[in-house]
Amino acid sequence: MTARADFLARIRREVAKAPGQFAASAVPRPPHPGAAAEAIRRELTERWPQALERFREEFERIAGVFHRVPTLEAVPSVIAAIARERGASRLVTWDPAALGFDPGPVLSRDGLVVAAVRAGQEDDAARERHRAEAAAAQIGVTGADFALAETGTLILLSGAGRPRSTSLLPDVHVAVFGRDRLLETLEQVGVMLEALHADADRSMSGAMINFITGPSRTADIELTLTRGVHGPKEVHAIFVEAP
Amino acid sequence: MSDTALRAPFPERAGAALKDTFLQEALTIATTKFIDLRRESFAGFPQGEALRDQARAIKEATLQRLDAHLERLADNVERLGGVVHWATTADEAREIVLRLARERGVRMAVKSKSMATEEIDLNEALEHAGVTAVETDLGEYIIQLAHEKPSHIIAPAIHKTKGQVAELFSRELRGEFPADPEVLTAVARKALREKFLQADMGITGANFAVADTGTVVLVTNEGNGRMVTSLPRIHVALMGIEKVIPSMSDLVVFLAILARSATGQKLSSYTTLVRGPRRAGELEGPQEFHLILLDNGRSRQIASTLREALYCLRCGACLNVCPVYRQIGGHAYGHTYPGPIGILLTAMLKGNESVRELAHASSLCGACKDVCPVRIDIPRMLVELREHLDREKIAPWSERVVFRAFRRLLMSETAFRVSARAGRLLQKPFVRQGRLRGLPLLLGRWTRTRDLPPVASRTFRERWKDLR
Repeated sequence: MTARADFLARIRREVAKAPGQFAASAVPRPPHPGAAAEAIRRELTERWPQALERFREEFERIAGVFHRVPTLEAVPSVIAAIARERGASRLVTWDPAALGFDPGPVLSRDGLVVAAVRAGQEDDAARERHRAEAAAAQIGVTGADFALAETGTLILLSGAGRPRSTSLLPDVHVAVFGRDRLLETLEQVGVMLEALHADADRSMSGAMINFITGPSRTADIELTLTRGVHGPKEVHAIFVEAP
Repeated sequence: MSDTALRAPFPERAGAALKDTFLQEALTIATTKFIDLRRESFAGFPQGEALRDQARAIKEATLQRLDAHLERLADNVERLGGVVHWATTADEAREIVLRLARERGVRMAVKSKSMATEEIDLNEALEHAGVTAVETDLGEYIIQLAHEKPSHIIAPAIHKTKGQVAELFSRELRGEFPADPEVLTAVARKALREKFLQADMGITGANFAVADTGTVVLVTNEGNGRMVTSLPRIHVALMGIEKVIPSMSDLVVFLAILARSATGQKLSSYTTLVRGPRRAGELEGPQEFHLILLDNGRSRQIASTLREALYCLRCGACLNVCPVYRQIGGHAYGHTYPGPIGILLTAMLKGNESVRELAHASSLCGACKDVCPVRIDIPRMLVELREHLDREKIAPWSERVVFRAFRRLLMSETAFRVSARAGRLLQKPFVRQGRLRGLPLLLGRWTRTRDLPPVASRTFRERWKDLR
């Protein structure tokens, strides 16, 4: 292993030797990312219906299943229907506080076993229990911090009450979100990421952000497209109309 | 491919590939499909061309201040509770991983696809140290079970049939599996799921690392990149120093063109941004995060011939369009990185001597440059590389003698005129149907697979005298 100072000194020497050869410019960062993010959100309060339409189109193109419900109260029955169709009996969900609603009571009445994560429980026993529950669940229910229309992508921040594996280990991933999560372009995602990281310790409680664009897939055997290699075979998006 | 095959001279390796009818068919199908997917994807994306220019400009800007960006990246990773290691050579990088594994009692490591770990032969080193290293990308898993090497940067097992995979899985995983990609994928899912849950260490590469935020970015389709960074208690990321980019604003530019260039997708299924170990309050994620910054010959090229190769995103687009790669496939190149960019990267990592034959495995047609998302001028660098090989006397003496003679000939008017006449005389026995065929001796190698136009009965220069 080389010492940091020696390693960097070598690179500094080489960089100094090389005159810039080609056009060079990084993308300018937004000077006030928070304000820029706010401006995008304001614009989207007008344009969200178009963004939603585009999201649905792109999401379905990559084999996502799109649902639309009027209010949060209607969400659990959609999840229950998904479980019924697939013969699923076990679910794992984000903390109801992070989801914005608690699907537990309705789903339990349907005879489903629901393991909801609770923020604040993070000792080793809780970790072990959670891992076993997540590995056994057939359906994982999460929110979505952003829904990117251009590519049909769900963007999820990990954190307290929002485990990384809820959208990964179960065969089916269900993400629930409202109109305020819609974005139109990757460029807007860039602004949001800048804003999130401007004061990351406060704006994010976790260390991971995942962009999820459809189900897990591979074409490694004779280029035959196959879904659900390691991650979910199915991804559902439930859009809640009520603001 | 066995070690002896790898030690065989390049013409023999290429010759063997050309005779392998299955490989020929697989290569045609795969590369053609990738080309089509990429073309369709960019056709519906008018801003793509401008984004490619922008991505290129970001890479150049980053290189011009590479030291500062690496420093910023390292500071941020450390502030987040990660540990940064600096590896000048492949040996050092291996030693760092082995030491971490030893000190922390690691028995099994799961890996997501990483060309950087291939580059340093990490798997062999881990096995040697008694650590089971499991490749989890389906293609990599297949070739690991078969004890082979990847043949394509993004589709490592394109040289294998589903029948071969079924046989392999049936033998190695003890079962009887049909030659059905769907079934075989499910078999791998089950086998590897256990490994993800058992492993102590997750090893990844990095597609990008954002200096501003200390974020390592992984792009995968299968989700294995997410597994190895979420489940094991230790995450080790190994990245070449050229993977650093300044900001999140830059990242989205690359994301917009990377998957399109590689597989024609708008985005790959998963883009994973990792900022250090798990935070307080998180139920999952590694307790420890280690970032290994690997030089291994890269910094030498910042101010040298191969500078532009440091822009490479490892998308594989240049392999698919290369008329040489399309014929011989990845193994014949004999090194970690195949294809046109692979020749340059091999020269970068292992020195110019290592590509004295490969430097000529290109027709310089320029297709690679056309499809490269960051417009790397691969043909220009290949020509410069050939020139270096000649100047440094690495090229075989016969080749150097021939080129020197050729140069003499081209620089003297008399010699040129005389040689045209001589050629006209000497070629007579070999002109058939207006083409030169079946030349004798060494020249026969050339005409064995193609013909040549003969010297004209009156050359242009001779006609020019009358026309003037």
